[in-house]
Amino acid sequence: MKREVIVAGHGGQGVLELANWLAYFHVLRGRHVAYTPSYGPETRGGKVKCYVVVSDEPIDSPIVESPDLLIVMNIPSMDYLPLLKPGGTLLVNSSLVKDARRRADVEVVEVPAVDIAAGLGAFAPAKGTDTSIAANSVMLGAALATTREAPERLPEEASEVFRHFLTGRKEALIPLNLRAVEAGAASVGGAAVVESA
Amino acid sequence: MSAEREFLKGNEALAYGALHAGLNAFYGYPITPSSEIPETLAAEFGQGNFPEFRSFLQAASEVEAINMVNGSAATGAKTMTATSGPGFSLKQEGISYAAGMELPILVVNVNRSGPGLGNLGPEQSDYFQATRGGGHGGYRPIVLAPDSVPEMAAFPSLGFSLAFRYRTPVILLADAFLGQLKEDLTFPEVSSSSFDTSSWAATGARGERRHVLASMHLELSDQNAASHALHAKYDQIARHEQRFDEVESDDARVVIVAYGICARLARRAVRSLRAKSAPVGLFRPITLAPFPHDGIERLLDRGVQNFLVVELNAGQMVEDVRLAVNGRARVNSLGQLGGLIPGTDELVRAAEAMLG
Amino acid sequence: MSGTAGALYETTLGPLPTLTSKPTHYCAGCEHGTLTHLIASALEALGARERAVLVNSVGCSVLAPDYLNVDAVEAPHGRAPAVMTGIKRARPDLLVFSIQGDGDAASIGLLELLNAANRGDPITIFLVNNAIYGMTGGQMAPTTPVGMVTTTSPRGRDLALSGPPIDASKLVASFERPAYVRRVFLPVMPTASPEFYNARGALEGARAVRHAFEVQERGGFAFVEFVSTCNVNWKMSVLDSKRYAAEVLAPLFPAGVLRDRFRMESP
Repeated sequence: MKREVIVAGHGGQGVLELANWLAYFHVLRGRHVAYTPSYGPETRGGKVKCYVVVSDEPIDSPIVESPDLLIVMNIPSMDYLPLLKPGGTLLVNSSLVKDARRRADVEVVEVPAVDIAAGLGAFAPAKGTDTSIAANSVMLGAALATTREAPERLPEEASEVFRHFLTGRKEALIPLNLRAVEAGAASVGGAAVVESA
Repeated sequence: MSAEREFLKGNEALAYGALHAGLNAFYGYPITPSSEIPETLAAEFGQGNFPEFRSFLQAASEVEAINMVNGSAATGAKTMTATSGPGFSLKQEGISYAAGMELPILVVNVNRSGPGLGNLGPEQSDYFQATRGGGHGGYRPIVLAPDSVPEMAAFPSLGFSLAFRYRTPVILLADAFLGQLKEDLTFPEVSSSSFDTSSWAATGARGERRHVLASMHLELSDQNAASHALHAKYDQIARHEQRFDEVESDDARVVIVAYGICARLARRAVRSLRAKSAPVGLFRPITLAPFPHDGIERLLDRGVQNFLVVELNAGQMVEDVRLAVNGRARVNSLGQLGGLIPGTDELVRAAEAMLG
Repeated sequence: MSGTAGALYETTLGPLPTLTSKPTHYCAGCEHGTLTHLIASALEALGARERAVLVNSVGCSVLAPDYLNVDAVEAPHGRAPAVMTGIKRARPDLLVFSIQGDGDAASIGLLELLNAANRGDPITIFLVNNAIYGMTGGQMAPTTPVGMVTTTSPRGRDLALSGPPIDASKLVASFERPAYVRRVFLPVMPTASPEFYNARGALEGARAVRHAFEVQERGGFAFVEFVSTCNVNWKMSVLDSKRYAAEVLAPLFPAGVLRDRFRMESP
C-alpha cells in the first residue's frame, strides 16, 4: 500500500494540523509516513501546502509530485488540481469551493466542511466567517472514510491522534474534534474511491 | 523515550538523537530553519529524562555559542551546537580553533538558501564551506550528510564517536528540507558510549602532568610539526572513514551521485528509470568529507562511464566527483537553487540523456 | 608601606609549583609579570592548582600557560569569557580564570564579557588595562585616553573620531549579577626616597586576586581590572610610564571596589 497526498489551503484553516493528523493516523497503524510542511518543486495557489506519503515500504522521496489524494481547503488551492493522478480523488471543502468538478478523470468528493463544523457549534468568530476551528477535523474524517480508512474503530483511533497533538489547554478541544471527524466521515457516506496504489 | 515509534521533525529527531548519544552540553543561537534543535533541547534540559545532559545555554551570539562549545569540549564533554547558513559562517573561527586544539565537537548546519540572508528554503550550497573547513588555517573536518529523519537521529551518535576517536570537529550537514521533514522512526535502546579523555582533557593538572590545549605554536618548527601531525590525522581519516550507500548500482551505466534530500529524489528517479529497464543507480556519499573516493573508484572498475551529480547548488560536490573520476568517465551536473527542488522528471531526463 | 611590600615580594618570588621555570617574555617594567606571580601565589594559598584551568586569551597574556603551571585552554581573540563559561558549565568543580587585555575584553570581546557578567557565570577574569595594544605593537585600545599617541592614533586619540575610552569595570558593575568587581592600580611607584618604592597596588592586587578566586568558588562572577603600564609601546622610560599611569590613567580609571557581594574579610 502506498498513498501520496497533498493538503492545501490558507493560513488559519488548520492545514498543517490536518496533514499531521492524517500522517500520524498511519504512524499509529505501523506504516512508514513522511510529512513535509511546505517545500517542493513548485509553489502555486494556496499559501499552505503539505505533503503526506504513507507506505508499507520505506519511502523513497517525501515529495509529492502527483498525488493520489488532493485535499483542497480553499479556492486558490484548486491550482494543484492538474497534479492529481488520473483516477485520483479530490476531496474539497465545498463550503468555499463551489466549482470543484473541473476534471472528468478524477473522483470529486465535496464536503461542506465549514458548514458541518458550524453545525457542531464550532465557529471561531475571530478568524472570520470562512473558517472554523473544526473544519479540518471534518476533512480528516472525510479523508479517512473516503480512503476506506474509517472502520468501526475510527473514534478510538482518531482519539489517539488528537491526544498526541492536542495537549495542555488544547485538550479541551478533543471532544469537539472527535465529533467533527465522525460528522466528516458520515458526510461522505459509503464513498470509497481511493484504492491502494 | 522508549523504543516505541516516534513521528518527529528532522530537527527534533536530531536533538533526541544527540540526547540518546549522551549529549552533555549544548550551546546555540536561534536561527531558522534549525531552531527546533535548541527548542527541543531546552524543553528536555533539567527534566531528568537524560541525566547526562547537564549544560544548556542560549548564547548571546553564534560566536559566543561556538566558544562555549569549545570550552565544554575541552573538558571532554560531549558538546554540540546547531545553526544554519549565516550562523555557520560566524562559527568558522571557533571551528578552526577546535581543529587546531584538537577538540571533539559536533556542529550541525541545517543548510538554508543563498548567500547573505538568502531565504529559508533548502539548499546544499554550504558544501564547499563545510567540506573545505570554512575557517582559516587549512584543516579538514569530518562532514556527515543524513538523508532521512532516522539518520538525523542516528548521526549525532556517529558524529560523537568520530569526533572523539580523532579529536576533531565533525560537521553534520543537513538541509532545511530534512530539518522540517517529519518521518516515523524508532530510537535504538542502546546506552550511549563513553570516551576516555583522560590523556588530554583540561580538567586540572595532576602532579607534574598538565594539559595545555593550544593551536598556537610560535616557533616555526613547532607549528610545522603540529600542522604535519594534524594533516597525518586527516590522511588517516580519509583512508578509514569514507562512508557511502549504493542503490541499484551493480549493473548501472549511469550512476546518480546525490546526498541529503537530493538522494531521496534520486531514489525515486532510479525506481522510475528501473521500471523502464533503464540501468541507472544511485551513489550516496554519507561522509561528504572525507569524500568516498574509494566507492567511486569501485564504480569505475565496474565500468561505469556516466555520473550525474544532483545537488541543491550550482555545482559543488560535482568537483569532488570529477576529482575522483579524474577524466575516466563523463560527469554531468544537475542543480537547483533558491530553495526549489528539481522534479523527478528532470532527473529522469538528465539520466536518460546520458544513457543515449 | 614599603616594608609590607617587601614582605609580599619575599613570599611571591620564591619557587612555586604553580609557576614554571620559564623566564617570561614580558617587558621590564610591565605589570603582567607581577600579576602572574599574584595569581600563582593565590592558587598556592588556596591549594587550587589541581582544579585550576587557565583560559589564555589573545594579547600579551597569550603565553600565560608557559608561566602558570596549570591546565590551559586557548580562546580566540575576545572569546575567553565564552570558553570559560563552557568549561565551568561542563565542570563546575573547576576553578576557571583568564587574563584578558583591554583590547580583548573591552573591544573585540565586549559581547562575551558583558553577557558572562549579565549571567553572573562563576568565573574569574583579570583584566590588564594598559591603555594600548601591546602584543601587536602599540595600536589604539578601547581604553586609550583621549590625546594619547598610538600607532593608529598618531595625532592622539580623537574624541570626535573614536569616542572616549571605555570603562570596562563600570560596564561590568552595571549588571546586577556580578559578585565582585574591583579596580586596582597595580604599578609599583617610585617614592621621594630613591631606595623605597610604593607597592601598595601589588598588595591590594594580591588580596583582590585571591578574593576573585574565592568568589568564584562561592558561585559568583569575579572581575578585577588592573590599571597597568606599557612603557615600551608608550615609548617612555619605566619610571615615566609609572608617573604617566598615576597622572593620566589613575584619574580616568579610579581604583576601588565597585561590587563585593561576598565581602572580603580584610580589605
